[in-house]
Amino acid sequence: MKKVSRRTFLKWGVAAGAVAVAAPYVMMNKNNMFTSTLTEMAGAPALFDVLVIGSGGSGMRAALEAGRQKDLKVALMTKLVPTRSATCMAQGGINGALRHADARDSIEKHAFDTVKGSDYLGDQDAIRFFAEKAPEALRELDYYGVAFDRMQDGRMAQRNLGGHTYARSAYSADQSGLVILHTLFEQCLKNNVNMLMEWQLLELVVEDGKLCGVVAMNMHSGKILPVMARTVVVATGGYGRLYWVRTTNPFSSTGDGIGACLKVGIPVKDPEMVQFHPTGLAGSGVLLSEAARGEGGYLVNKDGERFMRRYAPDKMELGPRDLVSQAIETEIREGRGVGEGLHAAVYLDLRHLGKKKIMQKLPQLRQLALNYEGVDAITQPIPIRGTCHYSMGGIDVVDYKTCATAIPGVFAVGECSCLSVHGANRLGGNSLAEVVVFGKYAGNGAAAYARNNAFDGNQTALDRAADEWEQRFAAVSSRSSGSTVPSIRDRMAATMWQNVGIFRSRTRLEQAVRNIDELLEEYRSCVVRDTTRIYNTAFMNYVELGNMLPLARMVAMAALARQESRGSHFREDYPRRNDQKFLQHTIVTRKGAEYSLTYRPVAITDYQAEERKY
Amino acid sequence: MKKFAFFPGCVLEGSAKEALDATIKVAAALEIELVEIPGWTCCGASHVQDMDPMAALAINARNMALAEKMGLPILTVCNTCTLMLRQAKSALDGDDRLKEKVNRVIASGGYEYVGFSDITHLLWVLAEDTAFWQRRISRPLTGTKVAAYYGCHILRPQKIMNFEDSANPRSLETVIRAVGAEPVDFPDKLQCCGFHAFWTAEKDAVFLTGKHVDNAVKAGADMMATPCPLCQMQLDMYQPEGRQAVHSTAEIPVLHLAQLIGLGLGFSPAELGINRHVSAASKVMLNQ
Amino acid sequence: MPTMTFTIRRFVEAKSFSRDYSFEYMAGNTVLDGLIFIKEKLDPSLAFTASCRNGVCGACALRVNGQAVLACETAIESLAARYHSARLTIAPLGNFTVLRDLVVDWQPKLDRMKQVKPWLIPQDAFSADTGCRQSQTDFDKIRGYTDCILCGACVSECSKLAADSADFLEPFAFVKAQKYVADSRDDAPLKHLDPAIQAGLWRCMHCEECTAKCPKSLDPAEDIAKLRVMAFKKAMVNSAGAQHAQAFYEDINDIGRLNEAKLAIRTDGIMKSLTRVGLAYRLMKVDKLDPFHLPEPIKNISKVQKILKAAKEADKS
Repeated sequence: MKKVSRRTFLKWGVAAGAVAVAAPYVMMNKNNMFTSTLTEMAGAPALFDVLVIGSGGSGMRAALEAGRQKDLKVALMTKLVPTRSATCMAQGGINGALRHADARDSIEKHAFDTVKGSDYLGDQDAIRFFAEKAPEALRELDYYGVAFDRMQDGRMAQRNLGGHTYARSAYSADQSGLVILHTLFEQCLKNNVNMLMEWQLLELVVEDGKLCGVVAMNMHSGKILPVMARTVVVATGGYGRLYWVRTTNPFSSTGDGIGACLKVGIPVKDPEMVQFHPTGLAGSGVLLSEAARGEGGYLVNKDGERFMRRYAPDKMELGPRDLVSQAIETEIREGRGVGEGLHAAVYLDLRHLGKKKIMQKLPQLRQLALNYEGVDAITQPIPIRGTCHYSMGGIDVVDYKTCATAIPGVFAVGECSCLSVHGANRLGGNSLAEVVVFGKYAGNGAAAYARNNAFDGNQTALDRAADEWEQRFAAVSSRSSGSTVPSIRDRMAATMWQNVGIFRSRTRLEQAVRNIDELLEEYRSCVVRDTTRIYNTAFMNYVELGNMLPLARMVAMAALARQESRGSHFREDYPRRNDQKFLQHTIVTRKGAEYSLTYRPVAITDYQAEERKY
Repeated sequence: MKKFAFFPGCVLEGSAKEALDATIKVAAALEIELVEIPGWTCCGASHVQDMDPMAALAINARNMALAEKMGLPILTVCNTCTLMLRQAKSALDGDDRLKEKVNRVIASGGYEYVGFSDITHLLWVLAEDTAFWQRRISRPLTGTKVAAYYGCHILRPQKIMNFEDSANPRSLETVIRAVGAEPVDFPDKLQCCGFHAFWTAEKDAVFLTGKHVDNAVKAGADMMATPCPLCQMQLDMYQPEGRQAVHSTAEIPVLHLAQLIGLGLGFSPAELGINRHVSAASKVMLNQ
Repeated sequence: MPTMTFTIRRFVEAKSFSRDYSFEYMAGNTVLDGLIFIKEKLDPSLAFTASCRNGVCGACALRVNGQAVLACETAIESLAARYHSARLTIAPLGNFTVLRDLVVDWQPKLDRMKQVKPWLIPQDAFSADTGCRQSQTDFDKIRGYTDCILCGACVSECSKLAADSADFLEPFAFVKAQKYVADSRDDAPLKHLDPAIQAGLWRCMHCEECTAKCPKSLDPAEDIAKLRVMAFKKAMVNSAGAQHAQAFYEDINDIGRLNEAKLAIRTDGIMKSLTRVGLAYRLMKVDKLDPFHLPEPIKNISKVQKILKAAKEADKS
C-alpha cells in the first residue's frame, strides 16, 4: 500500500479551507487501495470524484450536473473568480431549434446550417446530437432563471444570426453570455458546488495511462498542491491569446487546459482553425460589432479610399467576414494602412452617419472607441483591424456524448475542446449552445465514469509532479537573467499574427514554426522576477506562456500541413478547398519536443460536402 | 437680485432653527430674495419611498407644482431635500406615462406638475457666482482652516445632482475661499455621516461621526462646514459618542453653510445661532 | 506625450507600502494599460487582476483616488483632467480583504451573497423540460438587474460596510435579492426578502455610494428601497427602520411636516427612547430639542391627505 505524503496533504488541508474540504470524505469504493490511509488522515484529504477545471459556461454547467449528485465529491477549479471567464463576453445569443420565432425551423435545419457553416469539417453525428439537445438545454436555462427576452406568448424570443436559415437564437439583449454565465453561477451556489477559485492549473498528472489528478497553485496562499481526482473535466476555454493584442478574447484565454492535455499525450484536433473577426480596435483587439457596418459605416484606407470597392464591389463593407478581414490585411500589407506592427490599421469611418444616428444606433460602439482608442466616432474615423475571435480546434474528444478524451477519466468541453461541432468555422450563437449542451454531458460523463471506476492513479507520481513544480517555481522565480515573459509572448503573438493569421502560405508558416521553436528554447531560461508566493501573477503568466507556446507551434504546423483553404483557414498558395485530400481532421500529438501530425476522417452521416455559398 | 421659491425643509423648522435664522439673515444681506413656498410638505426625507414610492413622488410633485405657480426656481438648504426634489423631477421629466400618472394623483388635491421648475441649493447658488456676494464679506475669516464636508445627497447620484463632479467637487472649497478662509482637505469629505441610518445602525452612525471629526481635526481644521443640516446635526450632536467609538479626543465646531457665510458678513455667532450647537460652540464664540 | 505617476498601494505577503511608478501615456490609454505597462516594463511583482478588458467581466475594479472604477474602461487622460493632476493614487477596492496589491478576496463575499438565495426559485407550473413563461412586460422588470457583473465597485465605498460589515450585506447582494423578488417566474419572493431583511436591509445609510460607483449604471440604493417597499407589502414591518419610514409618512399625512418630538418614540418605542434621555438633555440644554413643540398642520393638509390616498389607490392599479 502506498502512503499518502502527510506533508503534502496537510498543506492541502490548510490551504483549501472550509469550502474545499468542509465535509470529511467518505470513500465510495471500498476496494480502493487508498481508503484506509485517506480516512485515517487528519483534515480529510481531498480525492475528487469530478474535478472541473475552468469556470466558463461549460465548466459551470459540467460542475452543476455532476455537483447535483450529492454522493459525489465535485469541485470547480478556476484560475479566476468564476464569473470573469470569456463566456460573459458573448453577446448575440444561444441557438436551439425551439421553433418559437419560426415554425419552419427544425433540428435538421440547425444541423445542416452548422455543417455547412463548418465548411463540412464538422462531424455530422456530433452536430446532429448537438442540434437535438440544444432546445432542451435552452428550456433548462430558462428554468434556471436566465432572463431571456420574450415572445408575445411569454416563451423565449429568438433572433437571427449570420449563417442561420431561421431565427433560432434565444437572447438576453446584447449580453446573452453574461446572463447565462451568471445564472449558471447562481445555480452552482444553490447546489453548493465546491469552488476552488483562483487556483492556477499547473499540470494534469497521468502515469501509465492512468489519471492521478492535477497539480495546481492556490493563488491565495501561493502553495503548489497535488489534487487527486478520479476524473478531470477540462473546460479552460480557447487560445485566442496566442495572438495576444490581436484578439477579442480575455487575458485568461491562454489554453491552459489544452497545454496540460498535450503534455500527457492527448492530441489536439484541428488547431489551425482559428476564426478572425474583421473589426477589432487597433490598439487592443477589442471587438466592434458588425452593427457598425450594418448601419452604413465605411472602411477606408489612409488615403481615404473606400477600398472594399476593389474587393467586393457589390456588397462593399457588408461582404462576408473572411473577405473583409482579408481586404483589410491586404491594404495594410500594401502600405495603405496607418500605424505600425500589430497595431497597424485601416479606418472604420462613421462620420457621415451623423451624430444623431451614431448616438441612437451605435452608442456602445462609440463608447468603446472613446475608451480604448481615445477616438470620437462622431468626429474621427476609428482605427480597426482583424482580430482573433474563436478557436474551433482544441483537445481531441473521442466520444462527444460524454466528452471523453483518449485518456480514461479525462474529459474536455467548451472552447478548449474540439468536439468537431464547429469544424472550420463557427456560426454565431453556436458557441453558447455548445457550452451548455455539452457541459451537461461532460458532467454526466465524468460522474458516470467516477461511479464505475476505482481510483487507480499513482499518488507518488502526483506528489512527485508537485515537488517538481516546487523546484521549478524556486528556480524560475529567482532567475535573474533571461528574456522576460511578456517579451517572448509579444514575439509569439507577432509571428502568429503575421504568419499564421488571416493570410497563410508555406513560406510564412515555415517561418512561424522556426520562430516559435526559438521562442520555446528562449522560454526555458526566461525570467519571472517575483519570488513571493501569494498571488504571484508574474509566475501565473509564465505558466500561461508555457501553455501557449507549444500550442502556437501546433497551430502553425497544422496550418502548414493543410494545403487547402477551408472556412477560417486561408492559404494564399492553396486558395481552394480540397475535399479529396483534406476532408479530414488534423490530429497533432506532442511528445516532449516532438510533434507529430496525422489525419482522421470527418464523420459524414447525412450531408455530402458541397460548395459553400451564401 | 436673485429670487427663489424657498423650501426650508422640516429640520430647519425644528432642531436646526439656527440654520433657518442664518439662511434668512445671509440671504437678505446678499440680496437673495427667498419667498417661502406656501404649504410645502416634507420631502419624504429619503424614507417615504421605502413605504410608498408613489406617495414620495406625489408630495414632491406637489411641492414643485407650488413653486411653479410662483414662477420661481426652488432653493433648498438641505442635501436630502435637494435630492428628493430633484429625484422626483428627474423621474417625472424622464417618463411621460409616470408624469401623467402622478399628475392624476395630485390632481385630487387640485395641483398640476408641468416641469419647468428647477431645483438648486444655496451652495450651488453661491459657488456658481462668487462675484455677486464676495465683495460683501466684511470680516473675512482669514487664517481659519475649514474642513469642507459635503455629505452624500448634494453629490450623489451624479446623474441626478449633476452640479459638479461627484468624485472631485469644488463648490464648497470655492465658497470657503470666498469668505477668506482656507479649505482643508481631509479623507472623509465625500463620505456619509450616517444620519439616515441613525435609528437602525446607531453604533455605525456614531462611529462615522467619530471618524470624520477625528480626521478633520487631524487634518488641522479649526471647524467643519457643511451644506446639509442633517450632516451638521449628526456631526455636531454625537461628538461625545463618536469620540468614544473611535477612541479620540477630537472636538470641533460644525457649521451650517449659511453660518459660515454669516460670520464673514460680520454677524455675531449668537446672531447666527451658533450657541444652539452642542459641540465646541464656545470655541467659535471665543474666536470671534 | 504626457507623464503620469501612479502611487500604488502595495501589499505583499503581509507588508504594506506605497510605490510610485511613472510612465508616458496617450489618448485611449486606460488605467489598466498603465498597470500592464508597469508590470511588464517596470515591476513584474505588481499584482492585479483583469480579464475581458472591456467592462463586462468585473475583474479589474479598483480605487483611483479613493473612488472605485473599472480600470479597463477608465481613461488616464480623463482622470488627469478630473483631478487636475499628473499623479493618481491606485488602491485595491475598499471593504474587501486584500490578498496582494490590488487583488482582493471574493470568496467571503460570494459566500455571504448566498444568504439571499440569489437564484430563481421557479414556480411549480414550470419545469426544466418546458421552460418558463414570462410576459415581455414582466421581463422588462428584471432586465436591468442582469447588467450586474459582480465587480465589487458598489462595495468599495459603502458607508455601512465601512462602519461594520457584520450585520450588512454587500450592495450587489441586495440587487440579486431584488432581481428575484421582481422576477415573475419566482415562486417565493419572501425566501429572498426575508434573509435580505435579516442581513441589514434597514441598516443601509442612504449614502448612494453604491449607485454612484456602479459602472453598469445599476441602482443598488433604489433596489434596497424596492425591497423595503416589498417588506411593507408583505407586512414585514416589525423593525425600527420600517417604523421610521412609516412615521415620516404619517407625519406628512397628519400635519404635512415632520414632528421631531414624536419621531423617536414612534421609531424606537417608548422603552428604547428612554435610553436616549441623556442625549435629549444635551439637546434641550442648547434649545435644540423642544419636547413641547407641536407643529401645526399646514394650511392645505386636507389636500395632502387626498393626494396620499390617491397615491395609495394608484399603487394598487
